[in-house]
Amino acid sequence: MEAIAAVANGFMDLFRAGSETFVSWVTGIIPLVVIMMTAVNSLIKLIGEDRVNGVAEFATKYTITRYTILPVISVIFLCNPMAYTFGRFVEEKHKAAFYDAAVSFVHPVTGLFPHANGGELFVYMGIAAGITQLGLPLGDLAVRYFIVGVIVILIRGIVTDRIYAHMSGKK
Amino acid sequence: MSYKAVTIKAGKGGFGGPLTLVPTDTRNKVVSVTGGGIHPIAAKIAEMTGCPAVDGFSTGVPDNEILVAVVDCGGTARCGVYPKKRIFTVNVLPVGQTGPLARFITEDIYVSAVDASCISLADESAISKAGTPTNPTSAPKTKDQAKAEIAKMNEGKPKNLATRIGIAIGGVVNKFYAAGRETIDITIKTILPFMAFVSMILGIISASGLGDVIANTISPIASTLPGMLIVSFICAIPFISPVLGPGAVIAQVVGTLLGVQIGLGNIPPQYALPALFAIDAQVGCDFIPVGMSLGEAEPETIELGVPAILYSRVITGPIAVLVAYVFSIGLYS
Repeated sequence: MEAIAAVANGFMDLFRAGSETFVSWVTGIIPLVVIMMTAVNSLIKLIGEDRVNGVAEFATKYTITRYTILPVISVIFLCNPMAYTFGRFVEEKHKAAFYDAAVSFVHPVTGLFPHANGGELFVYMGIAAGITQLGLPLGDLAVRYFIVGVIVILIRGIVTDRIYAHMSGKK
Repeated sequence: MSYKAVTIKAGKGGFGGPLTLVPTDTRNKVVSVTGGGIHPIAAKIAEMTGCPAVDGFSTGVPDNEILVAVVDCGGTARCGVYPKKRIFTVNVLPVGQTGPLARFITEDIYVSAVDASCISLADESAISKAGTPTNPTSAPKTKDQAKAEIAKMNEGKPKNLATRIGIAIGGVVNKFYAAGRETIDITIKTILPFMAFVSMILGIISASGLGDVIANTISPIASTLPGMLIVSFICAIPFISPVLGPGAVIAQVVGTLLGVQIGLGNIPPQYALPALFAIDAQVGCDFIPVGMSLGEAEPETIELGVPAILYSRVITGPIAVLVAYVFSIGLYS
């Protein structure tokens, strides 16, 4: 009888650790994320898609803005996955590179703007949870993640653009 | 024509359907968007209808030629993108109305948890009822037209100040309310389920002693630059990256595991930044054809774009880790 009880306790312990993690996430992460997401979502609705479209059309003209400003505003304003619809402003030969840049930004954006990719928060939040546990502030990491994200999508856009041009030239 | 109509119902734990697919001369491609290759379910539908099966990952297909899209989406993007375009969608995974496009996933356009036993030849009555999916935006449009007409009628009359202020405030409040509703929707439908599943895994890992194994194997790799470069390179290998991609589930689980190790002090905190890029070199590689078609790319562009992006990641994945490493200097020190 005691042996069975011990097994049952061990079995429950297996899940108790998980339940503690769950509660700490629900109380520690969700309230802030919900309020931030609501605020930014409202702002986006107030600004409206039309005004963003104007900026997008301008940003496609130059290589540097095409792989920095355009993907950044598309991800922040339209979120994952509708951000890729901004590819329609881009010339056909740059569409692959634009998609590559935009999709590579859907995680770096979540440090500062969690609304943009609410379904995939834990790439950042998972790692950030460890930083919080050490008692360190998250702001520095979030800002650096965003900045490096912009640099990386610029590099990625240019490299993919070159590879695409090379491949279509061969064909 | 020799095409045959089929009926597809939802499998165990599935959602939506039954869908009756009636191929026509133009709308007759069974597109498999399952990370490369033709999924057995797509092959089965193609065989029964007599339509060609197409690998949507390597070949672009114009939307108006797609009879049905077969996806293996865990719930973020693909399962919603095709329903949004009003293309019949068959998900082989048991996923219901979820993800950012959940509101487009409806029973008349989407069916999930489909296995071979769910597909049967359609009978006459089902065929006569079916047809190509109609675009539902036509109904709301007429509503908009009605609104426009009313607005036109009112145009001549100057509104008084109080009315105009009232309308403006109402509009703003409505936007705030809609924003709140969207946020709660995504919290319940995607954030909470993810938390539940990952905290269960983490709990089992820490209670069962597997945590020590991870601490001894992953932590040393993730606390050196060469180790992270290797991780990013592996994630970016062209035939691995599309498999690792869906829903970023793997990146999220690995991120959480690394977070635990950082919290325990096994990985120095400044490595958080390069690690974020090392585990994410494959981001979006599963979604290239769908993402590019959202950007209105031509099928030929998509065909070239998929390999271009996959090869590019092999170069830019490790570069991203290097850039992040440089930027992590001075972080938390």
